[in-house]
Amino acid sequence: MASYREERFDLRGIETVVQIAGEGEPLVFLHGAGTVTGFDALLPLAERFKLIVPFHPGFGPSADDTTVDDIHDYRRHYLDLFDELGLAEMALAGHSMGGWLAANFAADHTERVTRLVLAAPFGMRVEEHPTTDFLAIPGDQLPPYLTADMSIFEGHVPMPPTPEFLADRYRESTSAARLMWTRPYDLKLHRWLHRLRMPTLILWGDADRLIPVEQAAVWSDLIPDAEVRTLPGVGHLMFDESREAVDALGSFVGEGLTV
Amino acid sequence: MNVFDDIQFYLFNHHHYIDEPADADRYDSTWVDYPNGKFDAEVAHELYQRWTREMLLAEELGFDAIAVNEHHQTIYSMQPATSVRAAYLAALTKRVKILVAGVPINLSWPSRVAEEYAMLDVMSNGRMEYGFPLGTGMEYWSNAGQLNPTTARARFRENLSIILKTWTEDGPVRHDGEFYNYRFLNVWPRPMQKPYPKIYIVGSGSQETVDVATDFRAGYSIVFTPIEQQLKAMANYREAAESKGWTVQPDDTIFTVIAYVADTDEEAVREARPHIEKFFSWFHRVPPQFLSPPGYVSRSEYLRRAQSAALADGTRATWDDMVSIGRIICGSPDTVADTLSHWAQEAQCSRMLMVLQHGDMPEWKAVKNMHMFAKEVIPRVRARSSSGEAAKVLAGVK
Repeated sequence: MASYREERFDLRGIETVVQIAGEGEPLVFLHGAGTVTGFDALLPLAERFKLIVPFHPGFGPSADDTTVDDIHDYRRHYLDLFDELGLAEMALAGHSMGGWLAANFAADHTERVTRLVLAAPFGMRVEEHPTTDFLAIPGDQLPPYLTADMSIFEGHVPMPPTPEFLADRYRESTSAARLMWTRPYDLKLHRWLHRLRMPTLILWGDADRLIPVEQAAVWSDLIPDAEVRTLPGVGHLMFDESREAVDALGSFVGEGLTV
Repeated sequence: MNVFDDIQFYLFNHHHYIDEPADADRYDSTWVDYPNGKFDAEVAHELYQRWTREMLLAEELGFDAIAVNEHHQTIYSMQPATSVRAAYLAALTKRVKILVAGVPINLSWPSRVAEEYAMLDVMSNGRMEYGFPLGTGMEYWSNAGQLNPTTARARFRENLSIILKTWTEDGPVRHDGEFYNYRFLNVWPRPMQKPYPKIYIVGSGSQETVDVATDFRAGYSIVFTPIEQQLKAMANYREAAESKGWTVQPDDTIFTVIAYVADTDEEAVREARPHIEKFFSWFHRVPPQFLSPPGYVSRSEYLRRAQSAALADGTRATWDDMVSIGRIICGSPDTVADTLSHWAQEAQCSRMLMVLQHGDMPEWKAVKNMHMFAKEVIPRVRARSSSGEAAKVLAGVK
């Protein structure tokens, strides 16, 4: 199995850490609002692609940037990073909060995104099937919302959690709150999804307790060329839980290469 | 001159909502999400009457000031609009100063706080003092999401600067800030006391609040924390002020003291203990999530708190723990007066904010405590003033 190498970039004075594995066509993965379980589950993708997993500002080993506090700050942050990485074009995938970012990036920079994967994306306001406001849930009660399979935390979460571990989670919640405290959805998102003209895969676990799978239909109705793939019995942290989720992502991106 | 020459006692009352339900154990919190279906306006009305009686008694008994504060969505306090309460009390009192400590200014428009506070100062004929709190973490959960805790501290500083600007600079003035933009900042009325009433930053001892207080040359008032922590924070404040070129005066700091006085130490503990324990276990029942919303503190401050959770969490602390760390002081007049005097001396602090009503304490005990404090403790502390010491020397000579 491939492993990640780490590259560090100074973007506007903020150190940004990127994990890269494999060779080939670039596949960028934008992570969600927490990095507890890491990204080793994605490594099978490095067998076929150059897998690029950047840590957002304020997450994991990347430094804090308190001025990155709205979705377009993130979008421009990734313009900077992709320029540094020399990525004129890429396949772009995003999970949860990262799905929201990926959708925004792709809508504004359609020419740079060849294929798009939105994995249980955050940000859509669906009144009948609302996203769980995870900021309002105490940390110790959050895991069952994140996954249907608690074993994925083994080796990632000390028991009992240490003060250092809790402080790291608090810091990542703070980074997420800069973006999401005001409201846990994006009121304008639905108005711009028609711009996503690239082939798009919407991937969702049907046991997702954080962002209900029913939201998938709302996204696919708004995106011109979208297909939906649901994963039975899988929760929000789909890539940790299910190899099938990783493979579905890989084969969708791979289809683009063989055409 | 010594620190006791101008020592002043403030009576503070939490304005608790006292009505513990039979199913109290079901609730992890009496703040933020404690169901307001439990609120009974008849009960609350009686309590407002009672708290008013106790505040007015303070003036009668010779306290120098009364103090009110603000919290939201909690049985801990029935003062979500502290200026309203202060106006009511100002109308019913003549002599005492009134410390409003205060509106968490981030929850309001700065110009509006400046107006309300100026109005109170003029109406009360210049009897007001103001404490500026950031607001507990709970206040951020209890208010609209538009108030983001990740920017609370930066917003607080800007807020405070706007209030002081409009009180001191003749308007209209412009303000172009990060959070607020005023084309015509020009509040009317302006305070009676010049340049403005005495102000304090309310903190719990963190470096962040000490920095704000010293940057703005404001006083510093410490909320309920162990006394060692209060003393340390005051020393830190004093030092920070010196480094910024000014010297802290005895009236620049306020201690917060939870006290109960009776004829003997044993009687004091017997009478007060169940109510003080109830204060921590029920009225101040707050889960960690509500104490620290995301970004309310830095990662390092969060870590510091996580590492000392056992000490900070009164809900789980034992009585002996609380006494030994100086969170509370219960005893005879000599015990209480000696301890207070020692703290005043050590911190060179001449302002004592006294909490004399605790949790579900019945009125008779709170009133007895106030009488004992006013008649037995205050004179003992005041006797340590330079004129008191001189009188003792003279008496000794005779």
